[in-house]
Amino acid sequence: MLKTTIVDTRVRVRPSQNLLELLDEHKQHFKQLPANVANILKANGFKLNANAKVLKENELTFKRPKINTELLEKLTKDVPELQSTSTTEADEDQEEHDEPDLAKGNFLYLNDVHWLHNVLVDLRQKNIAKVYLHELLNSCELILPENELQERNPELEARCQRLREEQQNREYQKMTKNVDAGLKHYPEDTVAYQIKNMNKQIIAVAQFIFSVAAGFTFGFFGVNLMVGPLPFGFRILLGVIVALIIALAEMYFLAKKLHEYDEVLDAPKRKKTDMPKTSGVQQVKPHVD
Amino acid sequence: MTADNCETDRNGAAELLDSLYLDMFHLIEAHTNCRVDIERTNSNGAILLARTKFQQGGNSIGTAQIPTENSAEFNALCRVVKDSDTGNDVTVERLAVDKENGYVEPLHWFSVLPPMSLRNAADKFKKSIELVAESTNLQRELNAVLNGIDRLRRCAALK
Repeated sequence: MLKTTIVDTRVRVRPSQNLLELLDEHKQHFKQLPANVANILKANGFKLNANAKVLKENELTFKRPKINTELLEKLTKDVPELQSTSTTEADEDQEEHDEPDLAKGNFLYLNDVHWLHNVLVDLRQKNIAKVYLHELLNSCELILPENELQERNPELEARCQRLREEQQNREYQKMTKNVDAGLKHYPEDTVAYQIKNMNKQIIAVAQFIFSVAAGFTFGFFGVNLMVGPLPFGFRILLGVIVALIIALAEMYFLAKKLHEYDEVLDAPKRKKTDMPKTSGVQQVKPHVD
Repeated sequence: MTADNCETDRNGAAELLDSLYLDMFHLIEAHTNCRVDIERTNSNGAILLARTKFQQGGNSIGTAQIPTENSAEFNALCRVVKDSDTGNDVTVERLAVDKENGYVEPLHWFSVLPPMSLRNAADKFKKSIELVAESTNLQRELNAVLNGIDRLRRCAALK
């Protein structure tokens, strides 16, 4: 099982029926409400106040509240630090016992909670209801953002397995190379094979040198023989010019050939599916998953 | 003094608890965002490292290039320090490369001219360290808020 990236990083709150009933009870007191809250109320069978304006998601922006740390210090100075986690576990057990009936459907997001806070402050100021946010949230369910679990792709698993086996085979072959006479001579290990391989490249380079030299010879002697006696400096210049032209043309073909050669070398490593014949001298690094 | 004062105190505590809850939500979201960012930069860096290795081939880098226990000592380029302004937060301090005083650039162990992808990977991991520091700060704040909520609730329960 693999964990995927968290897609939705928002904190979600599943509202309780109490909360919705409270909102319904005081719906004439607030002039506007977020679309999300309106949807939840509708989904749970409450009617909206006709005058209330429904706000879109992007119309609401709230900042982090300022914490009055002095007051916090003052109020909690005689409360001891929490020592163990046993009390919190007990709390959780209690909460599980009296499961409040939660509303169906949607969740409240941070903006909605902020809006709720402002509404409650408003209600308290007007002396209509004396309810605090934390009392309401106690009955709600908090859903934290979580990673989704994803099965490991069986194709990938099979491929990893195959690579592991290949690696182990190669290591084994390398280990037993000295023992088993039949395995002793890999084609790659012989001098002939390597020289043959090198020859291909050397021939290509030698061809290049020969044709450049021939071009120079033509410019230096050939033109002189055809047109009659020429000054020495001019003959050298002619030779160099002809050699240069040939070198440029030849360079193109050489590059092309060497590139092809590289590709031929690389291809079997990538495409071969069965046990490769390479001795593994170059690939002894263990494959790490 | 007595009942009236007690009432305002309790109201203050309740409002404080409300704002603590809101702050907790904000911090949880910020912390989660930060974690997701860390994950993203780390995996980007790992991909870039893999690309470097792919481009250079498997044999181009050996363990001999990396300093061992016997090689000369050098100083770290990046340190985690306590923020002097707030006292509690941690920040990442970066020092300039200075060979004479022992501040070595680790990228130069691998080659004098490191490939672009390796340099980008190093940048990603540097960014990731800063994000980790940020995440630590957020987590500390979150812990403080949770502690505050817990204590305030028990304090409110005492009354």
